[in-house]
Amino acid sequence: MEPDRIKRKEVAFFGRITAGITHEIKNVLAIIQESAGLMEDVLEVIEDSAFAHKDKFIKSLDRIRRQIQRGIDITTCLNWFAHSPDRTPVSLDLNETSQQMVLLASRFARLKNVALETSPSDPPIVITSDPVSLEMALFESIEILLRAIDAGGKITLSPRKVQDRCVLGIGYENAALVKEDFPTQISSSERWASLQQTLTYLGGAAKTFGPTPEILLYLPDSIDN
Amino acid sequence: MKEMKVLLVDDEEEFVKALSERMKMRDVDSEVALGGEEALKTMDEKLPDVMVLDLKMPGIDGMEVLRRAKKAYPGVQIIMLTGHGSEKDEKEARRLGVFEYLQKPVSIEQLMKTVTEAYKKKFEDAMSAAAFAESGEFDTAKEILDRDKK
Repeated sequence: MEPDRIKRKEVAFFGRITAGITHEIKNVLAIIQESAGLMEDVLEVIEDSAFAHKDKFIKSLDRIRRQIQRGIDITTCLNWFAHSPDRTPVSLDLNETSQQMVLLASRFARLKNVALETSPSDPPIVITSDPVSLEMALFESIEILLRAIDAGGKITLSPRKVQDRCVLGIGYENAALVKEDFPTQISSSERWASLQQTLTYLGGAAKTFGPTPEILLYLPDSIDN
Repeated sequence: MKEMKVLLVDDEEEFVKALSERMKMRDVDSEVALGGEEALKTMDEKLPDVMVLDLKMPGIDGMEVLRRAKKAYPGVQIIMLTGHGSEKDEKEARRLGVFEYLQKPVSIEQLMKTVTEAYKKKFEDAMSAAAFAESGEFDTAKEILDRDKK
C-alpha cells in the first residue's frame, strides 16, 4: 500500500477511536449532570431548612454544573474534530471551522495569556477542501503567532473575501507590540515552511501582512481546482 | 402529571436511575429498563405513554426497539436520547416515527418539555380518534390511531 494511503488510514483510525471515546465521555458527563441535578432537586424541596455549610454545598453544585457544560462544549468540539477525516474533500463553512478551531486551540492561547476569537464573515464562505489539512493549517498559523510573541494580546480568525479570493486571516493585536520586523520574523520561522507545504497541498498559499501582523491563508473555492 | 407514564431505556444504569428519580420528583410516573429486551418486555406488561430511548445498547439496540414498538404500539410516543447519534441515525429514527431526537446530555428542563409535548400529542391523537369513532367514522379513527404505525 502507498505510504500516503497508509497515512490516511491511520488518521481515519485515530479519528474513529477518538470519536468513540468522546461518546463515552458524554455518557460520563450525563451521569454527573443527572446526579448533581438530583442533588439540586432535593435542595429545592428542602429550601427552607438550613443545614451546616449549605452555601458551600450550593456553590459546589453550581461549579459542577458549569464544568459539565464546559466538558460538553469541549467534547462536542473534539467529536467534530475526530470526524474530520471521515470524508474528504468536503464542503466547509469557514466560519464554523474557525469557531471550532478557537475552541480547540484556546488552551494553547491561554498559556500565553492570549485571547482567541473569530470574526465571522457575512455571508458565510463555503469552500470544498480537505478538513484535516485545513484545520492543521489554522492550528499551525496560531502556533506560529504564539511562538513569536511574548504574552498577552488577541488573535482573531477572520474568514473573508479579498478580490474574489477566499482568505482566512489569522491576525494578532497587542498595543504593547513594537516589533517592526514582526512579519519577517513570522515568515522566517521554522514552522512557516511547514505551513506553506500544507497550503500547497490545499491548492492555496500563505502570506504575511503588516503592520498589524496577520497571516493570510489564500484558499481555492475547491481543492480540485 | 402522575397519570403520565414514562419508560426510560438506557444501559447506563447510573444515568437512567438518576434521571428516573428526577422525573419522579417532578410527579412523573417513570420506570426504568436497562436494555432493549427489558424495554419491550416492560411495554407488554405496562404500556407507557412516552418512552425515552437510548440508541446504542447491547443486544436489541434503540433503533430496533423503536421499529418494534411503533409496529406493536403506534400510540406510544418515543423520544430518542443518545450520545452516539449520527445524521444518518437521526434520519432513520425520524422515518420510523420518533417524536424527537435529542443529544445526550440534555437538560432536565428540555427533556421534561419534550416529554410533556409527546404526551400531549398522544392524548390529542386518542381524543380525536375517539371523537371520530363516536360519530361513526371508524376508518378515520383507525387511521389516526395507526398514523404512527410503521
